[in-house]
Order: sequence, then C-alpha cells, then structure tokens
Amino acid sequence: VLLVGGLVSVALMLAGLLVLEAYALTGDRALDVPRLIQDRNVLVSLPELGHALRRWPPDPVALMTAGIVLLLLTPMLALAAALTEFVRERDSTYAIIAAALIVALMFGFAFRLGG
Amino acid sequence: VSGLLFLLALCASATGAGVLGAILGLGGGILLVPILTIFFGVSLPYAMGASIISVIATSCGAAAGHLRSGLANVRLGLFLALTTVSGALVGASLVGVLPERLLKTLFGLALLYSAFMMLRQLELEVRVVGETDWLAKRFGLSGSYYDHLMARDVEYRATRVSGGATAMFAAGLMSGLLGIGSGAFKVLAMDYFMRLPMKVSTATSNFMIGITAAASAGVYFGRGDIQPLLATPVAVGVLVGSFAGTRLLGRMRNATVRKLFLPIVLYLAGSMLLQGILR
Repeated sequence: VLLVGGLVSVALMLAGLLVLEAYALTGDRALDVPRLIQDRNVLVSLPELGHALRRWPPDPVALMTAGIVLLLLTPMLALAAALTEFVRERDSTYAIIAAALIVALMFGFAFRLGG
Repeated sequence: VSGLLFLLALCASATGAGVLGAILGLGGGILLVPILTIFFGVSLPYAMGASIISVIATSCGAAAGHLRSGLANVRLGLFLALTTVSGALVGASLVGVLPERLLKTLFGLALLYSAFMMLRQLELEVRVVGETDWLAKRFGLSGSYYDHLMARDVEYRATRVSGGATAMFAAGLMSGLLGIGSGAFKVLAMDYFMRLPMKVSTATSNFMIGITAAASAGVYFGRGDIQPLLATPVAVGVLVGSFAGTRLLGRMRNATVRKLFLPIVLYLAGSMLLQGILR
C-alpha cells in the first residue's frame, strides 16, 4: 500500500508538471520555476480540489495537488490495510491500536481539510 | 531550459535527502529545509511544507522496502506511533502553557545525553538478546532480520519498553509543543532505551515517521504551505533516493549507521540548546 500510494501520487504530480510544461510550450514561454515556486496559487481544501479537477482542459495545479493529497493520505491507507490484516489474524490488540491511529489521523484531516 | 535545470537540481537534492533519510530513519527534512532556503531561495513555510512531503515520501519508499526485508517491525512501529501521537496531541493542547525556551533547553540536554550514551556504544554491532520485559511480551515486540554482512538471521527483543514508550511520548509532546520533527528521538529511544539493533531502529522509524507526519500534514496543506511545483520534484527525488537508501541500509553495519547518525543528534542538540539558552 505504501509503495503503490507513493508511486501513484508521484505519477499524478509528474502528470501535472508535464501538463504545466505543455501549456508553457504552447504559450511559447519558458516555465519560470523559481518565480512559480513562490506563488501562493495553491489549493487548500478538498472541495476546492474536487472542483478544480473537474475542469477541462486539465488544471496542472489540481493534478499535482491531487498527487499531494493522495501522498498525505497514504500512511492512513497503509494503516487501514494493517488493520484489515490484524482483524484477519484475530490480533485484537493491534487491531485496536491501528484503529486508534486511523481515528487520530482522520480527525486531523477532517478537521483541517474539510473546509 | 533554466526552469528544467532548476527542477532537476531540486530533484537531485531531494534524492540525496531521500538516501540519507531512508538510512537514518529521519525523513530528510533536517537536510532539505536548509538546502531549499539557502540554495534555492524558497521561503521557510514552503520549505517546511516540502519537508512534510519529503518525510511521507521517504516513509512510503523506504518503509515498503524495509518491511519486505524484515528490518522494519510493524507491531513495534504501531505501538510506538500510538505513544508518539498521544504525546503530540497532549503537546498541541499545551502550546503556550509551558515556557518554550525551557522546553528547548531540556530537549537539547536530553539529546546531548543520548548522544553521549550513543558514543559509548558506537562500535556495538549486535546485542546479546536478554530477558524480554512483560510489555514486550504482551505486545509482541520482537523479531528477526537477515543480515547480509553477517550472512545470518539476527534475532532481537525489545527491553525497557516502558522507558522507550515514555521517551516516545516525550518526543511527541515536544513535537506538538514546539512544532519540530521527532525522528531522531524515535531512533534514539529504540536504539538506546529498548536496545534494538540500530538498523531495526532506523527502518522502523521510517515506517513511523509517515504516520506521525500525516497527523500534522493537514495543517500544512490547509495553510497553503505545500507548493505543488516545489513538492513534485521533492517527492520524485525523495522517493527515488529512499529506494537506494533502503538497499544501502541492508548492506551496512549497525555501527556504521550509528556513526552516521551521531553528528545529526549532536547538531540537533546544539541547535535546541542555542535556541533555548540564547534566544
């Protein structure tokens, strides 16, 4: 789960970067990365990201942000996989520990990313 | 072309941070933040946001390999992550209540003491497996890994688990109170308090740092501190670096890892003491 999550996240982020580069090339303007990395043009909530991802042509910032969100969620997905495994093994102690950690992480995400 | 070169330079720096992060169980933020701010002119909030991305990407790349090789112990990682996250939650709720300078001084002194203890056992390769304490037995905190250099399986059992868990809680507390990473303290707690092999300590730390970083990642994202164009080359570089670091760790001696780790602890101790005493 960790590996797949990491690889898919990075693939999404790279896709966004390629789209950005393609827009720069079609606009006949070089990508000014040192200036762009100081830019505050970032998406900061999941509803905002969902809206940006539905746009066509694709929004490069939205694609990269989708990769970032997936990367940030990957540890939680790995914990969910561990929880499933512990339940299957009937290891109640570690199933409870994994569940407690997931609840703590979900609380953080729901609290901070919901708006 | 300059934009592409800039991205490649960012990616190369992140690769180096990923290699070291995977070996030392730290996530690479300690190297990446100064590199990004000094050499790439990145503002501190964005550098910190990139650092969180670096920690989680290192954890994804390294932990997956370490879990396969048996160096990372999932049960140990989850048990200790629970105490660290609990400490971080308590710490976050106490911000402003406890004096920051005193906390930094105490944290610096604790790190300095740990560095001294690490120095005394710098050459130690494998500890004799002693009696398991009751907490280790209750929570199944033991395991084994195949050591390529010794060409044999190395068995280990955690000891002094209550001390290790208390150190982890303290690390989480400091992390929540001061907003600093606690990767170094996690490794020290496993290596020194719980007497686990250094490679198991750093590999398990790699598994844990992703979980603890994810707990605070929402704050950085919600504040808009994760710049996608900066995060992308960092994530790519760190992930590639962490794959390489994972392979290297499997072929390193515990003593070598400890020698690489010691300067980081001394740097962190000095930095904390300076901030606590001088500021």
